Amino acid sequence: MTKPKVGFFGVTGCAGDLLNVLNCEDQLLDLVDLVDIREFLMASSEGDHEVMLDVAFIEGCVVSQRDEDVVKAVRQRTRLLVALGTCAMWGGVPTLDRLHDRGALLQQVYGDFGRTIDTRPAQALDEIVKVDFGLPGCPIEKHEFLAAVANLLNGNLPQLPHYPVCAECRFAENRCLLGQDGALCLGPLTIAGCDARCPSLGVACNGCRGPAPDANFESAATLYQSMGYTRAQVERAMATFAPLPGAVH
Amino acid sequence: MSTRIVVDHLARVEGHGGITVELDGRQVQAVRFDVFEGARLIEGLIGGRHWTEVAQIVSRICSICSSSHALTSIKATEAAFGLMVSPQTLRLRDLLNRGENIESHALHLFLLAAPDYLEYPSAIHLAADNPDAVKLGLRLKRLGNSIQEVIGGRCIHPVNCVVGGFASMPTTDRLLQLRQDLLQGVADAQAAVAIVAGLPPVSCGRVDTIFAALDPGATYGYYDGDQIVVRSARGDTRVAAADYRSLTAESTVAHSHAKHSSWQGSPFMTGALARVTIHGHLLDEGSARVRARLGLGVPTGDPLQNNLAQAVELEYDIRYTLALVEQLLQDGLRPEPPLRPQVRAGHGTGVTEPPRGLLVHSYTYDAQGFIREADIITPTAMNAAMLERHMRGAVAVSDPENEPELKRRLEMVARAYDPCISCSVHLVRL
Repeated sequence: MTKPKVGFFGVTGCAGDLLNVLNCEDQLLDLVDLVDIREFLMASSEGDHEVMLDVAFIEGCVVSQRDEDVVKAVRQRTRLLVALGTCAMWGGVPTLDRLHDRGALLQQVYGDFGRTIDTRPAQALDEIVKVDFGLPGCPIEKHEFLAAVANLLNGNLPQLPHYPVCAECRFAENRCLLGQDGALCLGPLTIAGCDARCPSLGVACNGCRGPAPDANFESAATLYQSMGYTRAQVERAMATFAPLPGAVH
Repeated sequence: MSTRIVVDHLARVEGHGGITVELDGRQVQAVRFDVFEGARLIEGLIGGRHWTEVAQIVSRICSICSSSHALTSIKATEAAFGLMVSPQTLRLRDLLNRGENIESHALHLFLLAAPDYLEYPSAIHLAADNPDAVKLGLRLKRLGNSIQEVIGGRCIHPVNCVVGGFASMPTTDRLLQLRQDLLQGVADAQAAVAIVAGLPPVSCGRVDTIFAALDPGATYGYYDGDQIVVRSARGDTRVAAADYRSLTAESTVAHSHAKHSSWQGSPFMTGALARVTIHGHLLDEGSARVRARLGLGVPTGDPLQNNLAQAVELEYDIRYTLALVEQLLQDGLRPEPPLRPQVRAGHGTGVTEPPRGLLVHSYTYDAQGFIREADIITPTAMNAAMLERHMRGAVAVSDPENEPELKRRLEMVARAYDPCISCSVHLVRL
């Protein structure tokens, strides 16, 4: 069997999802045996920029024309495009710009020079190109990435949980930070897969994996407000890693 | 005749940047470290956020230094509210910072920099011929990540370190496992030093360099301290953390989304080499032997020596961390809920030493504990001007006709700085 040709790419982000691929220290050398990595700029100065790929993983969000050009070029040369991490899937923290006046921010930062920078409001990959599959997480969980690779090698599209972090938190028999401590915990809204990493440490979920498929934001907002949080605070918290449904830029 | 040498997109670094050199015969017209990472405006985006949320958002500036961004943010917030944390918290933060330093240095030395010296395009290619060296590097990298997992709750964007302390304490079982890993790490670190010492020498020129590093007090480290030491040929100058702007008179430059810093008009270098140069006397006998073995003499104007300084720190930090973990196991960890600050309007600055050098977070809070203004200055932004000067040094010792060799040296100088390009794109008040 010929090995599938794979590429790893990054647009604007913290490189944490690509780093977590390199953080699979125990599996990395096996991984390079199983797939034919043709491009991975963060790890290698040798890349084949023309070859048709079977799977392209892209991390990061689109905040410039340059980013858009990269994403479109990769789309043209891959059979499957996987959005790697929350920024690629949802836009991530940079989409907080929807709560601000981006022009004013740029002026504040760079002065008049800001007008010359290739920059625009942050977008997720699927606002630019067709995305076949996404792995959420800020950063992605290593076990989910490895499971996704194993699935793809077997010709299957990986499956994501459809339930929220709360379900995993209950399995772990954690104290409920929302119900018992009154914390603004986003566990009910956030897609599972992290084994309730934060609530298991006693830290409220901040929604870094993006929304679960059935997340009911309006109902949750009402709940948080009844606990004493202001509407603005609740909306900002819920919009930290993925824009609220209907939020425009 | 004028020629232009361009490295379009620098590989084996974090983020997106390139190099451009313009030559007129042998005369260097311009050297630029181009940063084209997109502008995320993160410091602006935390405007109006509550003090409990800030560290988690700003850690997203960079993955490799996310523990440092979180800790520096927390340090700034605690300074703004006048909160003093416990000695146990300070020990755990020290441990978390060292875990990050071990991971980052192992990643950089083995996966990013070593392929240059041995003329491979990547560590993956290197592994085909020398699997043991790459496996060793990966083991050391994993060790740094394990420390961050156990203390910070996640190796990228740690969640367990919060304002006032830690959300929960690592369990004894996990500390015992960490101790086992560290014992292996001590042996691995010696092997790593031997590998680094055996890398073929490459000359990329020397340039007189001003260094800057945080004064860590009595112990060589990365978290403690609120005074920056600047060392130039004229001697040492001390700058209080709150006065960091005198060190980072920044200006925008047309070719980069990063801003350039200077000390009294001169560029300076920060990072492992600056730390070993200024605070090397705080290291121990074991480190002295490592330095001798590596042939690292300071001060030096050779930027590639930063790689050797990273190897010195990697070896020292593993031994130090082992002793620290043994001490924690002996003393036991007290359950200690995070201290709550007395929220008030005010201003606070935190400075630490991430793997790549000085990092400043400076915040202004309103009386309700929401961010009014934030200023973050990263080591890669501070280093950018000096990096360009060192790249000029590399051109000066190269044959301009031999473009592949010139490019290799330019890339090696850039990589020796271990730039974090995502980090460098940041927002500041002008």
